[in-house]
Amino acid sequence: MGAVDLVYNLSRRLTDRRQDAEDLVQDTFLQAFRAWTDHRRPKRVKPWLATICLNLARSRYRSRARRPSEVPFEEWMVERRSGADPESRAVQEIEREQLYRAIRELPEEQRVAITLVDLSGFSTYKAAEAMGTPRGTVLSRLHRGRRALARLLGDRIEEVSR
Amino acid sequence: MMRWMRRGFRRRPHDPERNAAEYVSGELSRRATRWFEAHLLHCEDCWREVLLGRLGRRMAEEAREQASASLRDRVRAAVQFTSEGGPAGPSAPIGP
Repeated sequence: MGAVDLVYNLSRRLTDRRQDAEDLVQDTFLQAFRAWTDHRRPKRVKPWLATICLNLARSRYRSRARRPSEVPFEEWMVERRSGADPESRAVQEIEREQLYRAIRELPEEQRVAITLVDLSGFSTYKAAEAMGTPRGTVLSRLHRGRRALARLLGDRIEEVSR
Repeated sequence: MMRWMRRGFRRRPHDPERNAAEYVSGELSRRATRWFEAHLLHCEDCWREVLLGRLGRRMAEEAREQASASLRDRVRAAVQFTSEGGPAGPSAPIGP
């Protein structure tokens, strides 16, 4: 996964709206660029970018993330227009919508651990470096997040199929 | 893997969450994996955690998204603007 995709996926899990996620991606790269030109250069770029993104999200976007989520009308329309036939698109939308909602319902630290390890392909060692926590803590958050996600989605699949 | 490491793995307290997390993430050594897979055959707690962990991981992987081309362009343009002395950049003039 490339650096922009990594930061984008992390940003999407840390913010409610796509627009906020894109702003966070841009801010992350600008801050990284400034640090880079100030000769604050990391040994490993991806965990460093992830740390910048996490810190920015915590400081700048936390208050916004508490607001009820709203999807801009244009984004809503674009998402519904794209895709194949209406039936499979509807199924995909339900599944994706459930998936995103289930991830959003996880506590932030579990969401971040899952995003870094399962979505971005970090080892738990690198994720621990990016999150600034011991690896054992990352393993625990990761597993609890996976388990919660499996249960949440399992319950919803049962509800839908009843 | 060294023998002491295998013993170290065996000596660990029985921790289904941690073992399942490492196993599902593919972070156990080959020998530790073999040991854990043998352990799974008779440990219901670890087996249940592994099943949930696998399902959760698969679900999480499904949520992966690609940044759009327009976002990549936007980031590139912002960094370029900053590097050329734009207002947010490190070389931005301090005063008027």
